[in-house]
Amino acid sequence: MSNLNQAAGDGCGAPAGGVSASAATNAGSQAVVEGRVVRGSDPVSTGYARLLGTGGEFVAEVPLGDDGGFRFFAAPGTWTLRVLAPGGARADRSVSAEYGKVTQVEVTV
Amino acid sequence: MSRSEVLVDAEWVEAHTGDPGVVLVEVDEDTSAYDKGHIPNAIRIDWKQDLQDPVRRDFVDRVGFEKLLSERGISNDDTVVLYGGNNNWFAAYAYWYFKLYGHHDVKLLDGGRKKWELESRALTKDVPNRPATSYKASEQDATLRAKRDEVLEAIGKRNLVDVRSPDEFTGRLLAPAHLPQEQAQRGGHIPTARNVPWSKAANEDGTFRSDDELRGIYGDEAGLDFSKDTIAYCRIGERSAHTWFVLHELLGQPNVKNYDGSWTEYGSLVGVPIELGEAR
Repeated sequence: MSNLNQAAGDGCGAPAGGVSASAATNAGSQAVVEGRVVRGSDPVSTGYARLLGTGGEFVAEVPLGDDGGFRFFAAPGTWTLRVLAPGGARADRSVSAEYGKVTQVEVTV
Repeated sequence: MSRSEVLVDAEWVEAHTGDPGVVLVEVDEDTSAYDKGHIPNAIRIDWKQDLQDPVRRDFVDRVGFEKLLSERGISNDDTVVLYGGNNNWFAAYAYWYFKLYGHHDVKLLDGGRKKWELESRALTKDVPNRPATSYKASEQDATLRAKRDEVLEAIGKRNLVDVRSPDEFTGRLLAPAHLPQEQAQRGGHIPTARNVPWSKAANEDGTFRSDDELRGIYGDEAGLDFSKDTIAYCRIGERSAHTWFVLHELLGQPNVKNYDGSWTEYGSLVGVPIELGEAR
C-alpha cells in the first residue's frame, strides 16, 4: 500500500460533516483527490466515498458532504475511488494523485 | 460473550428503540452528525467533551462518568445500544469505556450509522428527553486497559496488535497531516507488534466479518498466538477499541487490553525501543 495522508478527523477518519465540493482547494504540497457524487443533476448528500489501494485494500473513507462532496489527501499513485449510496448504488473510478495537484472526479450513481 | 449478546441489527433497533430499559446512544467522531439526523430516540455522547478529562490526558473519572450517565438518563440496568459513524470506531471506543466502568448490558448496532443510512432507514432531528437517573459506576476494570509500562513489559512476550494503517505502522506516516497537535515525536511501531489494520475486521457496510473470517485474519494470517495475552493499540485508542471489541467480545479471547495511550504516547516516550518498516 502506498502512503496516504487521508482526509481525516481526530481519529484519522472522516472530516467533520463531510466536505464541500464547492470550496476551492489549494493542493499545496498535497496530492488531493476530490469531487462530488451526483444522481442525475442532484448531489448525493447521503453516502460514502472510499479510497482503495491497488489490491482493493481499504485506505480511507469519508461521508459525502451536503453537496455530495468528498476529499482525500492521498499519496501520489493510482487509487480506486468507490462510492456507496443508498439503494445499493455503488460506483468505482480509477483515479491518479500527484503532489501539488488537485484531481477532480465527478461520480454519477 | 457471543455475537448475539453484543451486537444487534437494524431490525432489532427499530423494534426496541422505544422500549423502557433500552437506551440508544450515538457516538461519532463528527459530533455534528447527530444534529443533522439520528436514529429515533437516540441520545448523543461526545467522545471528547463527555468522555475525556478536560485538563489531564485521561478519561473522566468514575464520578465524572456517573454524572454524565445520570444526566443523560441512563440507569445501571439499562440495555445501552451504541452506534456511530466511521464503521463504529467511536461507538466501539464508548463500548469499551462502558465496560471499563462496569456497565453490564452494552451492545453495538452492527454496521453503525453507515449501514443505517445506506439502507435509507429513518432519521430524526428530535432530541429525546430522558429523566435524570442516579447512575453508579464501578472502579475502572484494570483487566481491559493497558498502560505504558505494561506495554513495554509485553514486548516479545504478549501479542501486540497495531491496528493502524500499514504506513503508520512502518513509520512513513506519523498522523494525518492536519492534526499536528496529536502527532507523536517518532514514527514506527512497538517492537514485535503485528500490523492488522482495523479495517480488515469490517465489511464494506461497516458490519463485522464472521467469526470464522475474524479467526482467520488474526490467527492464520497475522499469526497471533491466541494462547497469549494481547494488547491492541492505534494512535489514540479508538481504532484499537474496535479491534479490542473483535478479539474480546466477538471472539471471546480473554486477557485482551486496549492501550489507549497508543502511538501518540508511545512514539513520544524517551528511550523506548521502536521498530521501523515491516513487521519482523
